[in-house]
Amino acid sequence: MLTRDLVRTAMNGLTRNISRSVLTTLGIMIGVGSVVLMISMGASFQKYILDQVSSFSGGIFEIHAKGLQEFGKETQSISTDDLDALSRLSTVESVAPVIFVAGKVRYGTEEITPSIFGSTKEIFSNFSLTVEHGRALTDGDIKGGQDVAVLGSKSAEDLFPSEDPLGKRITIGTRKFTVVGTLKSFGSPLMGSMDSLIYVPISVAKAMTGKVRYVDYISLQAKGDLSLAEADIKSLLRQRHRIDNPEDDPKKDDFIARSFAQATGVISTVTLSITIFLGLIAGISLVVGGIGIMNIMLVSVTERTKEIGLRKAVGAKRRDILIQFLIEAVSLTLLGGLIGIAGGGVFGFILARLAAKFLGSFPFSLTPGSILLSIGMAVGTGLVFGIYPALRAAKLHPIEALRAD
Amino acid sequence: MSNHDNKSAEAPGIAGGKSPSAPLIETINLYKSYFNEDLETPVLFDINLKIESGEFVAIMGPSGSGKSTLMHILGFLDVTTKGHYHFKGESTEEKVQDDLARIRAENISFVFQSFNLLPRTTVYDNVLLPLLYGTTPVHERRKRTLKAIESVGLADRTMFFSNQLSGGQQQRVAIARALVTEPEVIFADEPTGNLDSASGKHVMEILQNLNKEGHTIILVTHERTTAEHANRIIHIQDGRILTDEKGHTKRIASQVKQLK
Repeated sequence: MLTRDLVRTAMNGLTRNISRSVLTTLGIMIGVGSVVLMISMGASFQKYILDQVSSFSGGIFEIHAKGLQEFGKETQSISTDDLDALSRLSTVESVAPVIFVAGKVRYGTEEITPSIFGSTKEIFSNFSLTVEHGRALTDGDIKGGQDVAVLGSKSAEDLFPSEDPLGKRITIGTRKFTVVGTLKSFGSPLMGSMDSLIYVPISVAKAMTGKVRYVDYISLQAKGDLSLAEADIKSLLRQRHRIDNPEDDPKKDDFIARSFAQATGVISTVTLSITIFLGLIAGISLVVGGIGIMNIMLVSVTERTKEIGLRKAVGAKRRDILIQFLIEAVSLTLLGGLIGIAGGGVFGFILARLAAKFLGSFPFSLTPGSILLSIGMAVGTGLVFGIYPALRAAKLHPIEALRAD
Repeated sequence: MSNHDNKSAEAPGIAGGKSPSAPLIETINLYKSYFNEDLETPVLFDINLKIESGEFVAIMGPSGSGKSTLMHILGFLDVTTKGHYHFKGESTEEKVQDDLARIRAENISFVFQSFNLLPRTTVYDNVLLPLLYGTTPVHERRKRTLKAIESVGLADRTMFFSNQLSGGQQQRVAIARALVTEPEVIFADEPTGNLDSASGKHVMEILQNLNKEGHTIILVTHERTTAEHANRIIHIQDGRILTDEKGHTKRIASQVKQLK
């Protein structure tokens, strides 16, 4: 039988009971729709996070001691001498050391407990911080040990709900600081904690905490090839910390040095596995839809036993019957799949728009790859769940089929 | 030389594999039984039958006599248990399912008691159906389908749905469907069984006319009046041929009546 005739025959079979065909595809629509939605949302979520993270320059490394670090306690791993040595590396552009300061911050009746970073002016470029009002920390502030502070946007709002913070005197712990600048918001909930940071000169932080010989954290801007820089940083620190680790086993190090590029890779892996997980859950509904298809196809074969008998009597081969019913099943799932893709896409777009309202920006992602995957899943469902009913139809004995009522 | 011709024309199907002397249908000691969990129920015994091309044969018998089973075997819907069935001089015992399907598509047609038209499908598509499974070139399909519909007098109903027609008209559609492949033989299984007498008469007239035009027709019926339309009546009872008479049909039918 010609392919064209097979397709036409299958279509006739489907359109003879159109409401049932549509109802049957509903399960597949929902199944494929949720797969598309989940994949789309997963990809959108991944893109969103990566967009946020990529506001940091790719050449930024963060270095800190391994294990838990507590605010207010000196972690004896990365010393100021390590810092000097790192800054002299040819693959390093600049280093911004950070000392964590613990303490309450007060202005008038307002009191907050933000993270306070004692650092240098380099931290502003490494963290991609933008000054909104006033100025950033300067070398002069550091050298002179000036009691000045730069507020993240969130801290500025919390402390000064109705006043201009510039020039005001705030209290950190027991020490008074003059606010010399405020920072622009990162504009996304994901980076919210960055907006509440307060920056003070590292020299002042050392005096406040007594952490003189060690720093808590280094933000390092590399230059040139990132992997070269990474190797330089690691071998320098290992040499200085007397760690023998030629095989680059991170377990042996007493520090962690990683680039944001690596962090991006980790995020991609995590969001990809979330996407796969969600897609699999959505896939369960596709299986349920497929069982619905099988059920209806079995009913259809039983109902049309006489038709099958007639087709065999006029010369249909088993293969003709098999393919006719397979095409019917696949047409149902393909139709349901296409509608599901459209529905899932539209729903995903609406969700992304809603998310954008709360998160500032949220990209919508529906790639040709995921559409093709969904079409493939729909066709596959039709084949898997259609083959059994189609085989039953093909195997019917012509006389018995003709005698059926 | 004719021997050589026979061999080369064996496949596919049977078309063309005819030796000049061989009858269209020949059975030799045909035996059929059904098995139900090791229990053998014989249905046909030692059927020896020859039907020539162009005959109009009625197979008559009461229900349970085996006449339908015989028709199914002769029509390649079923196979023999023992014995031989030669179609156009060629043995058919070795054929597999798909070979039988090909013979049904190209050489055989059926008209059933219950019409067996596709529901919610036009007369045209119903008649076209056998051509989809055969070897008719696509461009000839339309012409042949319309010609078949016209030959049963339903040209004005071509695009009607099958369920919009009367029983007699539906059976005529079924006859058109049987004609469309231009088969060697048409099997009619109680074609008037579901029809009123006027429609039944009309259907039988069509079959007689088809026979006059040269079609071989094998009619299966339990009704004497229906069987009388044929030129030859084979009476079957309890799986055996009781009488096989050619000639004036009225006379044969009455003989059969006397035997009963």
